[in-house]
Amino acid sequence: MIKSAFTRRSILATGSGLALALALTACGGNVASTGSTADASKFPAGPVTLTIGADPGGSTDLIGRALAENASGPLGAPIPVVNKPGANGALATKEVGSSKPDGQTLVILNASLFAITPLAVSEGEKVKIEDYEVITGISQDDYVLVSNTSSGMETMDDLTKAGKKFNFATTGVGTGSQLAQALLFKQAKIDGTDVPFDGGSPAMTALLGNQVDLATIQLAEAMPQIKAGKLNPIVVFSKDRNQYLPDTPTAVEAGYDVPVSQFRAVAAPKGTPEAVLTKLRESFKKAFESDAYKAFNKQNLFTAAEIDGDQVAKDWSANAAKYKELTVKYDVDLGGGK
Amino acid sequence: MDFLAPVINGFGVVLEPMNLLYCLIGVVIGMLIGVLPGLGPAATIAILLPLTYGVEPVTAIIMLSGIFYGAQYGGTITSVLLRLPGEASSVVTVFDGYALARQGRAGTALGIAAIGSFFGGTVAIIGLTLLAPIVAGFALSFGPPEYTVLAMLGILLVATVSNGSKLKSIIAASLGLLLATVGRDTFTGEARFTFDNLSLADGLDFVPIAMGIFGLGEILYNLEERHNKVQAPAKVANVWPSRKDLKESSGAIGRGSVLGFFLGILPGGGATIASLAAYAMEKKRAKNPERFGRGAVEGVAAPESANNAAATSSFIPLLTLGIPANATMAIIFGALLIQGVTPGPQLVQNDPELFWGVVNSMYIGNILLLIMSIPLVGVFVKILRVRAAILAPITVLITLIGVYTINNSIFDIWLVIVFGLLGYLMKKFGFEPGPLVLAFVLGALLEENLRRSLLVFGGDAAGFVSRPISGILLLVFLIVMLLPLLQKAFKKAFKKARTPAPAVEAHHDEKERV
Repeated sequence: MIKSAFTRRSILATGSGLALALALTACGGNVASTGSTADASKFPAGPVTLTIGADPGGSTDLIGRALAENASGPLGAPIPVVNKPGANGALATKEVGSSKPDGQTLVILNASLFAITPLAVSEGEKVKIEDYEVITGISQDDYVLVSNTSSGMETMDDLTKAGKKFNFATTGVGTGSQLAQALLFKQAKIDGTDVPFDGGSPAMTALLGNQVDLATIQLAEAMPQIKAGKLNPIVVFSKDRNQYLPDTPTAVEAGYDVPVSQFRAVAAPKGTPEAVLTKLRESFKKAFESDAYKAFNKQNLFTAAEIDGDQVAKDWSANAAKYKELTVKYDVDLGGGK
Repeated sequence: MDFLAPVINGFGVVLEPMNLLYCLIGVVIGMLIGVLPGLGPAATIAILLPLTYGVEPVTAIIMLSGIFYGAQYGGTITSVLLRLPGEASSVVTVFDGYALARQGRAGTALGIAAIGSFFGGTVAIIGLTLLAPIVAGFALSFGPPEYTVLAMLGILLVATVSNGSKLKSIIAASLGLLLATVGRDTFTGEARFTFDNLSLADGLDFVPIAMGIFGLGEILYNLEERHNKVQAPAKVANVWPSRKDLKESSGAIGRGSVLGFFLGILPGGGATIASLAAYAMEKKRAKNPERFGRGAVEGVAAPESANNAAATSSFIPLLTLGIPANATMAIIFGALLIQGVTPGPQLVQNDPELFWGVVNSMYIGNILLLIMSIPLVGVFVKILRVRAAILAPITVLITLIGVYTINNSIFDIWLVIVFGLLGYLMKKFGFEPGPLVLAFVLGALLEENLRRSLLVFGGDAAGFVSRPISGILLLVFLIVMLLPLLQKAFKKAFKKARTPAPAVEAHHDEKERV
């Protein structure tokens, strides 16, 4: 362990040294240029903190840590990860939103917090994407509707023809899991009861034990059980088929207007200088290109969605509007008849 | 013999020097973070995860699981010495552990806890080796209705475990249940008692409440007490448990281990209920139940054996079904994925070396922990010789820093202070903190599962009775609740029939049989 830690450190040191040298030469060329460049040349002034609004060990945390590890070399500064769980991530997101816009404090954003959670929670917990400078999109994490193999339910047709009432497990109120299922069942005219659980693993446990009939959980959580033949994947909720589950149709293909995925992005407070954002963007781009990061995505079944920051903001706002419209159209209430 | 071959191969894996070293590193780290209040095994494992990227999967998991069960050993030390329970499952250890420490028998308490932990852990590993595939299904047959009744049973036991006046226990427990309702409603997203404060949106956390009510409350109370009368620092009379202590607690250790093993398989809350039930069982069995809470060794032995057994058996759902039973297991799940190993129903067949390597490493890890803890007991009890004027501020500082590290939140520090004041007032007016904290933990479990069950049943409560496991648990619940009432009625009838003198005799007999 000691040995490997040392090699890692020396690589990191070499990497940051190199980056520093490059940065210095780059600055030398345009000392007398605009103010924003001067800001950028001072950046990063010390460690860049990456805040994560979730407990250690979850998907958001894993992604944040993988990104931090691979981007700190190109950035030329350490990127310590700080977990501040609370209110589905709203706590950390709001806190970073109001911190100094100098690029030294960043946050991982979850699309669901902006597009789905506001449909269920009180005013004080809502956040708006317009209040952040999105640096870049990161990846996409898909939801899959699963049934216990012992139920014999394999396709949407099986569900619509069953003519029975289904209890479906969600990973909680105001999550993509709840929204996707509620919309799907309303559109397919399937009678279902929404049973919220505290996260993906309890929801899956309940389904494996036949405590509920269906569940929608994140692909990485469901995959081992799908491979073992314990769970049937019925549909995935992504726009296009998921690369790791190529034989499972999407809900859209099955004829339902339910495109729901979890997207993640990294952002800085509003007002961060453009030059600083550019520098960060380049460092994250280098991280995305590294083999270690690509392998990480593959192991955790994430689909790269390294979309331009401005586009992310547009997409998420559009999604928020679309989900709102769909819930109104199909009379879906995520707050459970509040 | 076919069955045993992979088990023996597993020992071969563990005994490789690299794996032994990582096992040792894991349990040492685990024990240390267990002693520090706040920083839990889940966070530690998440932070140390990158260190394991470069090593073999089995080596990595051996170390990470060592951190987990090592922390269970370490957590006892603060519960006993400083009245700081780091996890919900060690709250009941505080009752008698701290009482023993105040009588100068901290060594006894820690020694018994270490032996009980070792025994509980080992029983659970043997169970894991022989029964894992059979009992794994147990985790799946526990649905929301079963958890509902289990939580009800737990809350009922809370009343049994406390010592003071029944009315005050009920008031404290009710306050605990009320505190459990703070935060966003899990079913509607409605904010409850959050006062528009985002820090309260997820509800209150166990750790700041326990640290405040138990730890800080006690320190404040002692400061006041010392102000009024001169108090000698607690003596540390004996470091080792005597033969008599061992004999007294052997039954408790055995029963606690078995109970812990079975309840530990249940994802979520299993370990807490196991420690609580083990304690309640010993108190019911005891000839003099009033000793409990005043320094009964069984009161430390039973819950400590139970929570360690539960910690070990919580690996069963992960390794045999691919279901993480708690936050730490979820991170180990992630670690397995990073190593390219799919945790799930096929793990035993696909990776027998990993499965048996990890399981067998726990035998070694538990032995290492026992060897380490016994001499360390002598070191740790010296803490009590430190003058309170020095020890108290240091404890407060470590507690506050520890609590901050969990969520990196200043708000949690304020929570500790507020609950510290509450704990002080409770102690001053004779309310026990145990019922409050335990009811707080079980209240959330009860509410969520009750509402979930009713959703699943479509509103028909008859489902609780018609499902076999929840039906049986409900029956147990009724028995535990009604038995004392029946006994009372029986005694009254008896008293009327006979003269008073033999009635007292009968009274004693009755207690012994119960």
